[in-house]
Amino acid sequence: MFDETPQNTLPGAIKLPGAVYTISVEVNGKACTEEAPAQMTLLQFLRERLFLTGAKEGCGVGECGACTVLLNGRAVDACLVLAVEADQASVRTVEGEARDGELTLLQRAFIEHGAVQCGFCTSGMLLSAQSLLESNPHPNREEIVEAISGNLCRCTGYVQILEAIEAVGEGMEEGG
Amino acid sequence: MIRPFKYSKPRFLREALEALEKENARALAGGSDLLVELREGKSQAEHIVDVKAIPELSCFSIGKDGIIIGGQLTLNELAESKELGQTCPILGDAARTVATPQVRNRATLVGNLCTASPAADLAPPLFVLGAAVVVASKEGEQRIPIQQFFQGPKKNCLQPGQLVLRVEIPPRSTGRGVFMKKSRVRGHDLATINVAGWTNPQAGILRICIGACGPTPVLLTSSDELYQRAVCRDELLDGLATLAQDQIAPIDDLRASAAYRRSLVTVFLGRMVRILFPEEGGWPHV
Amino acid sequence: MSADQDYKYIGKGISRLDGPEKVTGSAMFVHDMTLPGMLYGKMVKSPHACARIVSIDISEAEKSPGVRAVLVGRELPYKVGIYMIDKDILAKEVARYHGEPVVAIAAQSELAAEEACAKVKIVWEALPAVLDPREGLSPAAPLVHPELASYSYMKGVFQPQPGTNISHHQKIRKGDVEIALAKADVVWEAKFYNPPVQHVAMETHTCIAQALPGSQVQIWTSAQSPFTVRNLFSACFGIPHQNIRVHVPYVGGGFGGKAGIHLEPLAYLLSQKAGGRPVKLTMTREEEFGAMPSRQGLYSQFTTGATREGKIISLVAKYIWDAGAYADYGVNVGRAASYSGAGPYEIPNCHIDSLVVYTNKVFGTAYRGFGHLEALWGIERNMDIGARRLGLDPVEFRRRNVLRPGAKTITGETVTEHTGRVDLCLEKVAEEIGWNGIQTEEERAQAMAGGKVRGKGVALLHKAPAMPVFTSSAALLKFNENGSVDLLTSIIDYGQGTYTALAQAAAEELKMPIERIQVPWESDTAMTPYDWQTVASRGAFMGCKAVIAAARDALQQIKETASQVLRAPVEELVCRDEVVFVAHRPEECLSYREVVMGYSYPNGNSIGGPVIGRGHYIAQGLTHLDLETGQGLPALDWTYGAHGAEIEVDLDTGEITVLNLATALDVGQVLNAQSLRGQIIGGVVQGLGSALLEEFRFSPQGRLLNAGFVDYKIPTSKDLPRKMSQHIILTEQLDGPYGARGVAEHPMISVPGAIGNALYDALGIDFFELPLNAERVWLGIQRKRSETQDTLPGAIKLPRAIHLDKGGA
Ligand code: FES
Ligand code: FES
Repeated sequence: MFDETPQNTLPGAIKLPGAVYTISVEVNGKACTEEAPAQMTLLQFLRERLFLTGAKEGCGVGECGACTVLLNGRAVDACLVLAVEADQASVRTVEGEARDGELTLLQRAFIEHGAVQCGFCTSGMLLSAQSLLESNPHPNREEIVEAISGNLCRCTGYVQILEAIEAVGEGMEEGG
Repeated sequence: MIRPFKYSKPRFLREALEALEKENARALAGGSDLLVELREGKSQAEHIVDVKAIPELSCFSIGKDGIIIGGQLTLNELAESKELGQTCPILGDAARTVATPQVRNRATLVGNLCTASPAADLAPPLFVLGAAVVVASKEGEQRIPIQQFFQGPKKNCLQPGQLVLRVEIPPRSTGRGVFMKKSRVRGHDLATINVAGWTNPQAGILRICIGACGPTPVLLTSSDELYQRAVCRDELLDGLATLAQDQIAPIDDLRASAAYRRSLVTVFLGRMVRILFPEEGGWPHV
Repeated sequence: MSADQDYKYIGKGISRLDGPEKVTGSAMFVHDMTLPGMLYGKMVKSPHACARIVSIDISEAEKSPGVRAVLVGRELPYKVGIYMIDKDILAKEVARYHGEPVVAIAAQSELAAEEACAKVKIVWEALPAVLDPREGLSPAAPLVHPELASYSYMKGVFQPQPGTNISHHQKIRKGDVEIALAKADVVWEAKFYNPPVQHVAMETHTCIAQALPGSQVQIWTSAQSPFTVRNLFSACFGIPHQNIRVHVPYVGGGFGGKAGIHLEPLAYLLSQKAGGRPVKLTMTREEEFGAMPSRQGLYSQFTTGATREGKIISLVAKYIWDAGAYADYGVNVGRAASYSGAGPYEIPNCHIDSLVVYTNKVFGTAYRGFGHLEALWGIERNMDIGARRLGLDPVEFRRRNVLRPGAKTITGETVTEHTGRVDLCLEKVAEEIGWNGIQTEEERAQAMAGGKVRGKGVALLHKAPAMPVFTSSAALLKFNENGSVDLLTSIIDYGQGTYTALAQAAAEELKMPIERIQVPWESDTAMTPYDWQTVASRGAFMGCKAVIAAARDALQQIKETASQVLRAPVEELVCRDEVVFVAHRPEECLSYREVVMGYSYPNGNSIGGPVIGRGHYIAQGLTHLDLETGQGLPALDWTYGAHGAEIEVDLDTGEITVLNLATALDVGQVLNAQSLRGQIIGGVVQGLGSALLEEFRFSPQGRLLNAGFVDYKIPTSKDLPRKMSQHIILTEQLDGPYGARGVAEHPMISVPGAIGNALYDALGIDFFELPLNAERVWLGIQRKRSETQDTLPGAIKLPRAIHLDKGGA
């Protein structure tokens, strides 16, 4: 399923045991093919290979959600996914949310409700919230709390984030 | 940093089993435990065998022959299954308490068992449901009762060359269950203790399993007899508490002291029994 | 109450200026940066709390693929720090805490650096460690820093005691406590404990440094204070300031943990050794917990004397701080807590001794409201205990003692009409939680039958910025060709909303739309003007003062040019809506745009020039505290506040549910309603972390056991109170910008006290130690149940014996 090339090409071309794989993945609607060693996580792949640095590493072990992206539509911690596992998959990162410079409703709500402070958790938080709103356009408070419960934020105390998501949910109701 | 390894994603079971025969080969399903082990250097895997393309692991059925959950089923897929929610809600209840929504979108039920943590949240429900783990190797398939699958803290019974295909839960005509978990915070956390109970009053069956209170989850022995003997709920409760305190062996660790765990066990047994047997006075099965 | 002024921008809920970058993922943090040729650093860390380095063998590591530099402590004849210059960049002869960096390696990838680290061989000789600061005070205790006498420190402010483990002893002496205690009708004692905890900014510490020819240095760092990094870096290496350029782009949270100086020297030394290639050092979350500084633990003890009428007349307090291996910043925590160390109360006779004690643990630093959350945990619990001894309602007892205009603080400062009203904060939160007195034991017994009990509690708070007397800020307002403005500052907005507040002040003063003010999100010591540090809730206060001055300066320049063109004296000119005009003939006007780059007459003659407004502010009238008595003026401004909590306790599990948490703060004036609310909620939730969840756990050998999110829990969205409310009191601060005072730290202070007091109300049990996790509460309930005859009102029971004099002294 993969073209296994004989040599590892880590940055700086140091030879280490291991193999490099060619990965074809649709990122934010665009097909792309890149090489990556097997041990590279999807988070590293996005940040170091594709220069999409919106997803952050807050812990690297699936505890903080700063690295949240949507993999085939579902929120996952990109630090717990190998890049090779995303071969043939579609990935959405925060960079792909706004279209033609037009912020999404959710992005606008985050700004307007004061849901952003330092911003380090924001990318992941937005994607967790976005995936909730796409599967459940009018979530109640409890569902919102649950949806972002895997995203740690040390700055905001969450309340304004919950309010922003809630406002989008309610807005959708009004707008039909 | 994760050290380099070789990755393959076989489409045939045979290929995967062959690959897993080698020492330092590890199966990868959801990856939520494996990647952490790799990153922290707790696993020295040289070959990671991704089992997500093997058709034998994708089964998920709920029917007359019981419930079958393949190795690829994620915790959120279980939690979201309406059918499972109707037939056997305690699995979804337990699945929903594991880690974070993001992790549950990747982590599998089988993976949760394979890690064999004494606090594995899916273990108590599967213990009380009498589940079996179906393991494949080149020699063929083997059904292992879940109690035998758990060998010790973070130790399962798998040998090199073996792979868990699915978990099978035997059919139950009637019955009801409860799952409960106590952790330090309301947000994602490992269980300080978790408990599952299952009863079929007609058949005089009561099974209770307690997690995080011993090297493996503890399925209380003689709970059926106790249940059949007890003349009222309070007697059952007292009996169960004594039984549990005799059979569990909690330790002091970062998450809680043994004494606190013991106390929680009694508290949660009480809460569970009250839900399983809502009638205060009389005794349904006698 | 605040002057009723009509502001266009001040006080409004203007959304963050950097919102769009942050919601699109384009905001660049150091975490996200890579430079051409960049190497990655990793560290080998001490596996002992205290051990001598017998030998280090780096030969294999040096040969490891991709390695470009290996550094050991012995090659580094430096000490670094802010107040107490005591930190080693890498451990030299002795490692002083488990996790202390000992060897550092720069390589072409993180993996290569990590693999090389694994090849370093170190022979250790374990030494006895000091793990408890109370033991550290014993004359028999080993010395964590035997060379303390040789260290530099900020003289005249701190008092290290060579030959002991005491890095600083702060004294406050007011009145005569002995006489007053003898006169008191009621005297009580209580002891408390706060464990070390961590800031847990979501972006861990990270920096990139590059050593360039001619001893030039470039640093990009996730830090709170570019100029302090530069200043301390210069002092450490003897490199002149102008050669060092520190850049701070977006920062993913700080909370004090990124004040002072941290990884920058090590990254620089690695770069130097690697021939000048840039080196990036990023802490993993585990390293962030285990090798980066935390909040110090505190043992506190109070002896309080009051009259029968409920007036406190004497307070003797002792604070013993668990500084950890370095007291770099920690000495100032001990100092700041002491001058606030009696709470917001008027206490005529007060003695405080605050001892910052070295131990062999990861070291402490500033953390949001430093020293105050810790000290006020004890102070506010002590108030409730005292109220009970006096038979008074805890709210009433506070009313009788709070600082009011005319009162003198324990350092001799006179409270005025404009200092702020803690009494109003108290009344507000009491009202919000429906305070109606503490429950009786009978009421409690009744409630307990139900399995769940409720309780209410209040706690007060105060804090002033803890900063040197010479602290200053500067701002530049640089006009662009189209008449828009770049606001340059070296205050760092790592989430607080300061830049938005500064832009609001600039727009207000310059009389122009806020959309036309831009605050570039990178501070750079070579480009942006001086600012001491972004700490202590001083950023918006001092920054706005500087911006206001800069705006006035810019307007003056605009008017001077316009005065010639319009042929009217400067005094007759008015600025409004980006236009300067003659007051009595508005049609005689010029747009800013026509003036700010110089005005050109039709014939081509030109006058004026690019307008750059310059403003500064230096803290006014602060004095050092007298070393013997602590008397002096330490405070730029005092912000007062109160929390009221209602909780429910599950008697079977000990679990606390916070039903209601009301917060009132006297902020003087609201600068930005949205960010104020964000600061309060964010702070309160952090305070709840300290109150209910967070603590460092160490093994008996001094190893940090919970260096990760698996076992160090911070609040998630599921851990919030059922209800939270924020209330604002507006007592104008005369010298504050628009009457405002600092408020970023205060919301987290005293949250533990309010919960602890509510817990007593619910259970009739005094808790003395944090955090109030379910197991601790459960344990308290078990104890009470097993000794019920001992629950007379007023009896103080310690859940676990805490002795400040453990181990002697
Ligand atoms: S970085 Fe992936 S969950 Fe923390
Ligand atoms: S805004 Fe800073 S961590 Fe969420």
